[in-house]
Amino acid sequence: MPNLVEFLQSVVNGIGVGLIYGLVGIGFCVIYNASGIVNFAQGVFVMLGGMVCQALLTQFGIPLMLAVALTIPLVAISGMIMELVIVRPMMHRGATLFAIILATLAAQIMIERITLLTFGDRPRTYHEFTTGGPLKIGDIAIGYQLFWILGCGALLVLLLWLFFTRTRTGRALRACSQNREAAQLLGVPVARMMLISFALSAALGAVAGILVTPTQYTAYNVGTPFGVNGFIAAIIGGFGRAGGALAGGLLLGVLQALAIVALGAGFKNVAALSALLVVLLLFPNGLFAGFSRGAKAH
Amino acid sequence: MSAAGTTAASVPLLEARDISASYGHVQALKPTSLHIAEGELVTILGPNGAGKTTLMRALTRLTASMGSVFFRGEDISGLPTHKLARRGIVMVQEGRGLFPQMSVRENLIIGAYLHAAEAEAQMGTVFELFPRLRERIDQIAGSLSGGEQQMLAIGRALMAKPQLLMLDEPSLGLAPRVAFEILSTLSELNRRGIGILLVEQKAPLALKLARRVYVISLGKIVAELKTDEIKSYHDLARYYLH
Repeated sequence: MPNLVEFLQSVVNGIGVGLIYGLVGIGFCVIYNASGIVNFAQGVFVMLGGMVCQALLTQFGIPLMLAVALTIPLVAISGMIMELVIVRPMMHRGATLFAIILATLAAQIMIERITLLTFGDRPRTYHEFTTGGPLKIGDIAIGYQLFWILGCGALLVLLLWLFFTRTRTGRALRACSQNREAAQLLGVPVARMMLISFALSAALGAVAGILVTPTQYTAYNVGTPFGVNGFIAAIIGGFGRAGGALAGGLLLGVLQALAIVALGAGFKNVAALSALLVVLLLFPNGLFAGFSRGAKAH
Repeated sequence: MSAAGTTAASVPLLEARDISASYGHVQALKPTSLHIAEGELVTILGPNGAGKTTLMRALTRLTASMGSVFFRGEDISGLPTHKLARRGIVMVQEGRGLFPQMSVRENLIIGAYLHAAEAEAQMGTVFELFPRLRERIDQIAGSLSGGEQQMLAIGRALMAKPQLLMLDEPSLGLAPRVAFEILSTLSELNRRGIGILLVEQKAPLALKLARRVYVISLGKIVAELKTDEIKSYHDLARYYLH
């Protein structure tokens, strides 16, 4: 059994990685709400975020903040290309959602292979945004990067909330998610909204990848685990609910970290999938939806 | 009569020529033509399953359709749905089509998607017609009563500044008093110059409002009648049984 310090250290570590899962989960929700599509290539944006930022830093010698500022729109463009080249033509040809979802999975594999051919299979990383550390609180060590993850994550959630509730485009995206036909009848260009949703979702993935790479590493194949865990986070939170995905990500991250310290690294995914099963058995529509319904009932 | 060749005075607000629609192999709407003049209120009557909703969906391109649609003489057959609102054609769907998890205010603001700068002023006009919406402004749309939801659906459509307002069964599921109130408001909107195409099952209410009625049955318009020519509901019933 872990002692108290190990337990608290795991919780701290879990919050960091959980926030990343949450951001990936929100990315799933943004696209799903605008189009009904589950984009299984979501994890690839996390990988691209880390890889592109690393390349800009090391191969071009660009300062960190400029590299970040360039990486996010570059990855967002990759999301738009995916929508324009794969999703939109399939939708126009009347493909079923299942076929489109499968195509996003194929896109993930394709992008991974292109990355492998371009960058090679060597794992890459870069230095933390703030050097030094970790911060010691008693026996608990907190890396400075965790503060970046928490700060940027919180800021991003706030910006997303402002975007979806205060801007014309954000409101239109929410309207599309609730009644696409009614939105169209009021002049909302649904196709453009889908394009925006892919760009936004890819940008979120990029931010997650940029933030997490210094604490781990990035390589052509890291997208899949981030994608799977982000997907689980979104389902735990009640698919389509951004706040739920964030909560689901944090829960999942902490659970995985605790499972590693209590049972060993091999049980990390067992913990994640067990959590998913329990949540789905108790709250078939996800934790967040379940709590909402419960609150209404009272 | 070709749309291009007509004079400005005689150009209908909306004209559909041989418009038809199918769901798979089932032709739900057979080639059908209709027109609405500027500032006119026209009702489409017909029994359940006659094709009324399909006709409205075909006109707004929510359902793929064949045939031509002209708006003030301009061929709009190839326009996607979202571009119709820019021309001034706005539809309130059957079942109201609200954004149920958004507040009354947000629903109205989305209504003014194409006229964001005028949203506040337009909202004032909507509240004049439906004061109850002002009282419910921060309430979630899905939690409103049926009548209030219908008021919001019409109010939201008005935010888009329609020249032609199409409504699919706005009285559905409403108490008779509320239905009368809603339809009276439509009459007032029509007096203000908005063309209205109304699908309605409640013939007595519809006949009070409109001067002209299309009767649709089995996916086809079977009669075009002036309401003052209809002496009794038996005149309509024979078309329902067509």
